[in-house]
Amino acid sequence: MSATEARAPKRLPLAPHEIVLVVILAIALAVLATLSDRFFTLDNLLNQGRLMTEVGLIAMPMTFVIVTGGIDLSVGSTMGLCAILLGYSWKNFGFPLELAIVFALLVGTVAGFINGWFITRLKVPPLIMTISTLALYRGLAEGISQAHSVRGYPEGFYLLGQGEVWGVPTQLWLLVVAIVIFAVILARTTFGRSLYAIGYNETGARFSGLPVDRIKLAIYTASGLMAGLAAWIFVSRVSTTRSDMGTGIELDVIAAVVLGGTSIFGGVGTIAGTVLGLLLIQLLKDGLALTGVKGDATIVVIGAVLILSILITNFAQRRREQGR
Amino acid sequence: MSATIAQAPARKWRFSLSQEWLLLIGIATLFIVVGLINPRFVASRNLQSILLANAYVAVAAIGMSVVIVSGNIDISVGSLIGVLASISGALAVAGVPVFFAWAIPVVISILVMMLQGALVAYLRIPSIVVTLGMLSILKGGLISVTNGVWISGMPDSFHLAQWHLLDLFIAAEPGKQAAVPESLSALKPMFDLLTMPVLFMLFLTLGAAWWMRNTAKGRSVYAVGGNAEAARLCGIPRERTLMMVFAVHGLFTGLAAVLFATQPSVIQSTVPPNLELTIITASVVGGVSILGGTGTVIGSTLAAILIAAIGSALIFVNISPYWLRAAQGILILVTVLADIYRRRQRGLAR
Amino acid sequence: MKYSLMALALGATLLSGNAFAAKWDGGDDLPTNPLPCDGGAGTMAAKAYDGAAVTGSVDKSGKPITLVDVPKLIGIGYFNATTKGMQDAAKELGNVKVTTDGPTEAKIDEQVKFIDNYITRGVDGVLFAANDPVAIAPVLKKALSKGVHVIGYDANSTPDAREWFVNQAQFNGIAKAMVDNLAKEIGEDKSFGIVTSTFTTPNQARWIAEMSAYAAKCHPKLKWLETVEAQEDNILSFNQASTLLNKYGDQLSGLMGMTSVATPASAEAVTRSNLCGKVAVVGLATPNAMKPYVASGCVKSVVLWNPVDLGYAAVYVTRAVVDGKLKAGATSVEAGKLGKLSVVNGSEILLGSPFVYDKSNINNFDF
Repeated sequence: MSATEARAPKRLPLAPHEIVLVVILAIALAVLATLSDRFFTLDNLLNQGRLMTEVGLIAMPMTFVIVTGGIDLSVGSTMGLCAILLGYSWKNFGFPLELAIVFALLVGTVAGFINGWFITRLKVPPLIMTISTLALYRGLAEGISQAHSVRGYPEGFYLLGQGEVWGVPTQLWLLVVAIVIFAVILARTTFGRSLYAIGYNETGARFSGLPVDRIKLAIYTASGLMAGLAAWIFVSRVSTTRSDMGTGIELDVIAAVVLGGTSIFGGVGTIAGTVLGLLLIQLLKDGLALTGVKGDATIVVIGAVLILSILITNFAQRRREQGR
Repeated sequence: MSATIAQAPARKWRFSLSQEWLLLIGIATLFIVVGLINPRFVASRNLQSILLANAYVAVAAIGMSVVIVSGNIDISVGSLIGVLASISGALAVAGVPVFFAWAIPVVISILVMMLQGALVAYLRIPSIVVTLGMLSILKGGLISVTNGVWISGMPDSFHLAQWHLLDLFIAAEPGKQAAVPESLSALKPMFDLLTMPVLFMLFLTLGAAWWMRNTAKGRSVYAVGGNAEAARLCGIPRERTLMMVFAVHGLFTGLAAVLFATQPSVIQSTVPPNLELTIITASVVGGVSILGGTGTVIGSTLAAILIAAIGSALIFVNISPYWLRAAQGILILVTVLADIYRRRQRGLAR
Repeated sequence: MKYSLMALALGATLLSGNAFAAKWDGGDDLPTNPLPCDGGAGTMAAKAYDGAAVTGSVDKSGKPITLVDVPKLIGIGYFNATTKGMQDAAKELGNVKVTTDGPTEAKIDEQVKFIDNYITRGVDGVLFAANDPVAIAPVLKKALSKGVHVIGYDANSTPDAREWFVNQAQFNGIAKAMVDNLAKEIGEDKSFGIVTSTFTTPNQARWIAEMSAYAAKCHPKLKWLETVEAQEDNILSFNQASTLLNKYGDQLSGLMGMTSVATPASAEAVTRSNLCGKVAVVGLATPNAMKPYVASGCVKSVVLWNPVDLGYAAVYVTRAVVDGKLKAGATSVEAGKLGKLSVVNGSEILLGSPFVYDKSNINNFDF
């Protein structure tokens, strides 16, 4: 533990990579705002917040998971499974809607717990475990629903996904709360510091007496729970339940987290970085669309920004290390 | 991990062999059981369908296995195959000699993969980040450039994947099956199975397996994947080995793309959905450890065949294809658990 | 669910009201309305306008307008063709600008995001082909509430989320063309299989249900064997079609492709299995994708409306809505070179009867 603390990054308000991101984001915002007068409006920004909530919620625990050197590829499928079970239990089991929602969140939690259990108890590598549950959970969603969609929820159900509270999209409040909670946990608690320790050197963390397995089990379970929450919001936003929901969202989430400077090797990363990564991707997509760039070209830009930003940070880091 | 390096290939060979036997037994069981329910499942026509349509997955999984053994991963492979297939088709339609329509995509594939390899090896960007970015670039780029127009009207000789073994010896129109001489007619079903994609799959698998096991370069992949630092101390440079790994992966991806492109009469110039996942699954089920350092390509080819056969079998036994993915997920999980169990046994034995 | 359930077909009209039909997998449970066997026009109940109204739109009649077209996905031949038709219409009209943009995969949330962005960007109208009729509704309603005209084509949303829908062909018309062609090619008492996208894709499910009802009424001896799903995936379609051929062997005389991807892939599977002439392929597809198989004689006929005309009509309809020429209660609308198109089913504009492409005319089309 002492060794890791000695080498842990100094607690600057923003890490170098985050400064790179803030600069890129500021430039992008300035350019896009001059190109389209409809981009930098409160209305548009709030709306973008609504659209990025699901990815954002899942990105929070994903940051934790990646900080420990793990990964969770099953989140999109977990989301699909939760969405299907929300609709299915409401329609076919006759659950009241509230119970169906709780059930869906529970299913997400269990799905995440299963990942965590196999990863910690049976030492299945996270990538493999979550690739197999990526297929398994999606398969269950398709098998259970037989790809029938569930529609016709009562009006009140749509408040979360389509409504507003105090002029701000309902789900955005949830995202803000989640960001604050996860940021505080990661930066200010022993639990958060243990995540860095595990990611930096798992064996070392174990020897210094950290309950590594319990911590990992907790974050994978949290990942499942947040995927369930995202499923609920998503169903409420698009007013229907389909088994293909959330397909490929894991790549969007991982792109945001990695762009935010969390190292895929573990040990480095912040929630602030992830939020910056999220904002950058969402606003780039939106801004480019508003200035008339087509969707396919936007995907290319996002891919290039992802590689370049990591590249810049790597160079900066190496120069600092050489300078020392 | 580091402890296993010292006792490299011989032992690994034996242990991973059991993964391969497991897959062989799985394939055999599947064919016997489903064959008893519906004999047409084991008719040579269906075997041909299963092998022919999935040989390119097996070929791509060879390269993926090499990448995973080296401790990396590539999620751009499906998009790259889509891009290369479109290039190949477009070249053929433009009247480029067919050999170049096959060869140019392979060269491009090697170059793209080496570029990714350079980012991973020298600039130390994690492979998952590099290939995630590349996935985006290729996918968006392909549609931007082609607008998704379907490519058709390639010359007949372009369709390499439709050639049969006999076409090579008996001058015949490619694609149209050569007449089997009287004396060999008893063997016809076997010749039917030996289409180009299947031959590619067989020879590339055996060749790659030999390379990985018996050459110094091939073994250095295991060393770097097992423990890069230890490998470096043994005089195996991480950077150059990774460049080689990605170049080899590029070669197999290119060949897979050519098989993929030369099969249908019409090439859909979009990225085949979820292809990278199928390929990674084949590698992993084949016994390649995602932690790097172990696994062989024979396993990945067998796994590709098994996964394809399961997809076909579900229709023959009237199970909804909706359960296919759940079955795949369970299959990977079981394989991985078996692998972990074996490792523990080995750990205890030591 | 391999045992076909006997289900009561609750027809919208008395014609089919009492008919029993063995339902085929992949069809939906909505009422069917099969056309008469002899080719006469079916009965259609008159219905009041059931589309939505746009609020707060600026009157731009006769003035230049900007439209955005968000299809299910971009990069497939079919939607390339509708895009072409839209550009043709825009050029003819002179005061319309259309941009096509959309997701690269048929994903509902992506499509919603695209439409949302364009509402913010400020367009006069949204043209859409829905990936899901319900999921797309909230964002379309948002467009309507911001004064953006909303017109659907190809795949409908719920009627209360758009003003008009340009219907390429009546479901029962397509069903009749498909089943009649199949029966003509394979004979009345033969068996066939279906390759579709998924059991829940709304258009495909509707067609299969209508085909099932029409076959029960007019070709009762035709035997349906199985429906397989293949998404909109070329390779998967080929594999599924090959597997059907292998599974049923001589029993199978025909394959029906329900998507513009499944049909060429089925033809490819039949060609590769050397079964041309033994197994007929009938299906929905774009001419370019089918030319090799029609030329080789492996496929005799392809059923489709003209997607270029569909896109063309969608733009003309939108122009008419903006100009106030198409209002609730209208019975027809003028659509350039297509002439007068009639309003059916409340708020749908019918493009016409499905078109059958064969060797004699397929080379006249390039899309």
